[in-house]
Amino acid sequence: MTLKNLATPKNIIGIIAIIAFVVIVPQVVQGFAMTIINVALLFAIISYGVSIMLGMGGQLSFAAVTFMGFGAYFIANMSTGRLGFVIPTFLALLLTPIVFAGVAFLIGLVLLKLKGTYFTFSTIALVQVAFTYFNNFQPLFGGPDGISGIPTLTIGSYSFGNDLTAWFYLICVFVIIGGIIVERIRRSQLGRSLASIRDNETAALTLGVNTYLTKVIAFSIAGAFAAFAGALWVMHGRFVGAEMFNFLNATQFIIMAMIGGVNSTVGIVIGALLVRGLPEFFRGFQGYMNLFWGVSIILLMVFMPTGLAGIKDVIVDKFRQFRVKSRKGDDDDATNTKA
Amino acid sequence: MSLQLFSTLFINGLAMGVVYAMLAMGLILLIRAVGILNFAQGEMFMFGAYISAALILDFHLPFFAMIPVAMISFIIVGLIFMFTIYWPLRKASYAATTIIATMGAAIVLRELAVLIWGAMPRSMPPLMQTPEGGAAILNIGGTPLPWQFVLIIIVGAALMLLIYLLFEKLYIGKLMQAACQNSYAANLIGIPTILTIAATYSIVSILVSVGGYMVSPIFTVNNTLGTMQLQAFAGVVIGGFGNIKGAIIGSLLVGLIEVFSTINFSAYRDVSVFLVLIVVLLLRPQGLFGEKIADKA
Amino acid sequence: MQPILRLEGVNKSFGGVTAAKDVSFSVPPGEVQGLIGPNGAGKSTLMNIISGIYTPDSGKVFLEEKDITKVAAYTRARMGIGRTFQTPRFMQRSSIRDNLLLGTDLADQIGYLKGFFGKKGKPFDEELEELMEVAKFTFRWTDKIDSLPFGQRKLLEIVRSMLGHPKVMLVDEPAAGLNHKEIEHAMDLLNMAAKQRGIGVLLIEHSMDMIMDMCSNIVVINFGEVIGQGSPEEVSSNKAVIDAYLGGDLDD
Repeated sequence: MTLKNLATPKNIIGIIAIIAFVVIVPQVVQGFAMTIINVALLFAIISYGVSIMLGMGGQLSFAAVTFMGFGAYFIANMSTGRLGFVIPTFLALLLTPIVFAGVAFLIGLVLLKLKGTYFTFSTIALVQVAFTYFNNFQPLFGGPDGISGIPTLTIGSYSFGNDLTAWFYLICVFVIIGGIIVERIRRSQLGRSLASIRDNETAALTLGVNTYLTKVIAFSIAGAFAAFAGALWVMHGRFVGAEMFNFLNATQFIIMAMIGGVNSTVGIVIGALLVRGLPEFFRGFQGYMNLFWGVSIILLMVFMPTGLAGIKDVIVDKFRQFRVKSRKGDDDDATNTKA
Repeated sequence: MSLQLFSTLFINGLAMGVVYAMLAMGLILLIRAVGILNFAQGEMFMFGAYISAALILDFHLPFFAMIPVAMISFIIVGLIFMFTIYWPLRKASYAATTIIATMGAAIVLRELAVLIWGAMPRSMPPLMQTPEGGAAILNIGGTPLPWQFVLIIIVGAALMLLIYLLFEKLYIGKLMQAACQNSYAANLIGIPTILTIAATYSIVSILVSVGGYMVSPIFTVNNTLGTMQLQAFAGVVIGGFGNIKGAIIGSLLVGLIEVFSTINFSAYRDVSVFLVLIVVLLLRPQGLFGEKIADKA
Repeated sequence: MQPILRLEGVNKSFGGVTAAKDVSFSVPPGEVQGLIGPNGAGKSTLMNIISGIYTPDSGKVFLEEKDITKVAAYTRARMGIGRTFQTPRFMQRSSIRDNLLLGTDLADQIGYLKGFFGKKGKPFDEELEELMEVAKFTFRWTDKIDSLPFGQRKLLEIVRSMLGHPKVMLVDEPAAGLNHKEIEHAMDLLNMAAKQRGIGVLLIEHSMDMIMDMCSNIVVINFGEVIGQGSPEEVSSNKAVIDAYLGGDLDD
């Protein structure tokens, strides 16, 4: 794709919108609200992994929250001297995605021997086992009290400290880099192979796709995204406790991705901002907020199954249904993809 | 371990196993009927406990008046669930869409419970009480067994047996299953699919709500009761997907493993269950009692 | 001539039901070989055994005289076994372009990492144009695959398979559900694959016209067993074959 191809009106509008977001938000938002936005953006990075696994590959995994935990506890152990040594925070941050891509690869090798719903169940088991260890195993995870006093991120001589605006810019950089990576994957052979697995695993095999290894690679990339975001999250919040990594929160990332549009990178960021932001925004109605929230998830799935990013498709589909009354379909294939 | 301790733990584990089995059986019935993995199963269970608590603690209904009222309420909850979560989504092309919707439903049920009945856990009287109002203990050969556990086992087993017979042995149940799985065939016989699916949802709602009611004197009625569905998931997979008998045995195993592993490492009891789950998945993905999945192109 | 694909004594049964019984035949390069038989005779099972979806209970599969019986399905595809399905299997939520690129990915074998960093395979626009010329329809790259009518999707699946540059193509009932014109175009595509590219085509088809027209050699199976084999004339005068077709269900 050349530069000329990229300069479509849609892309230009998109880039302007991103720049506007990055420039305007710090001007109008401060304090606690800024924390919310920062965390929401970090969670968007984790949901990118959901997009790769579920959106592209059709594999429903709850493991993201556990890898976020791995990343967070990794930083907590590396930078506080709990283990008797200290690694500079920036170096530890760079190590996180590499280390946990490897860990995720190994775990993926085991779990992805299972298919479909069995795989999903095995990730639930992973989340539960990891959560129990996070919550109880003192030496590495600090037990129920968690680990506090985690140093902030320092690059060279610059320390991010509690400067939320500086954090915002830094996180934006990573959200954009992550988004570019996801888009590249979507458009490259890996993305196509994953999509072929999602839509028909047998056909994928006959097209030369090593379905098992491809899924493991996707799991590994998703794990790296989650661990990296977890690392940033813990240096941003300076505290890590097990509560964050329970099953309930595992569903959160799936919901973010589905609400924004599991196959839309921008949609995911918007989804994350909504999921994290709306409940805080309506804090006054706290009691009813979660209820409202649950109801909107259901309504969204009913009326916009492809998320906010799918509004256009939904309208186009309705229009098409109108035009083409019936067409010979392939129902036997459709059933294959349903869990 | 003394025999006495063993028996107490065994009954405790079995009772919890029966509770998980009720949840698991409901899961399987729904998977079979409509192909949907219900992530709000635990919350239906919790809601059942809240409804029973309201009938007993707020309306002071006597036991025999409470039962029919409770059953009708459970059916209504099941039907509302079906018409809001399943029916509009029955033609969704992404399986994840329905799963997310059930997750949304889980949030709704949890929040509704808190909004209606408050955030404080409600303590429920046990079914069998001592004259002073405490939990009655059954004494067998010097081994004290809490009555509530024994009753959970009896009531749960009876209810599951009834539903099992209905679905697996009786003609009407088989017909219902066939109708759910194949709407074309159903239309041939002349049963509207919607009726059979509604019946399934009602039965599932009754099953899990009764489970919630039975377990509430032990854990109090609170909005985290729903997390027990994770153990039921584990039971379903250990026993074998899509297989009622397997799911029940798997869930009983989960209950027993959980209780017996508390002896040595209480904090890690979840770990033992889920490690067993992962090992079973790897060695026998079809579950202990599942049939080998035919390799199908 | 050395066969490009060869089956040797292949057996397969599913829980007591025999789907393939001592099946042996070969496919020469540059020819269209027919595989016919009544419904449920085991044709699709053989396809699945050749492409590696099923492993045979016993017997061997050879590609260019190399034993591939134990080779994984995706490796077989990379070694040059392409196939199509009775109902075309595409990525239903992707564009036509992405679906066809999946075929060229198979031919290029760049690898995920190099692909990620922007390495591209050989340009295939020319080849695609040539193929679409034969298939006689045009489409827009960016359209969703399911915006195409069924017949065109089936043709496009043959095109996708050819873009993967296979040595052998297994084609499962290409004519089913196609109109008269589309059947002609499918035949043109398959003839092109065999005659111009030297691909060995194994064709399952119920349309006897198409089989008789295209195949130099036909294998007939019933109940998983080869009951006749030879040129169209030989086969159509073979008593066992006539019995199987007249005794069983008459598909054509």
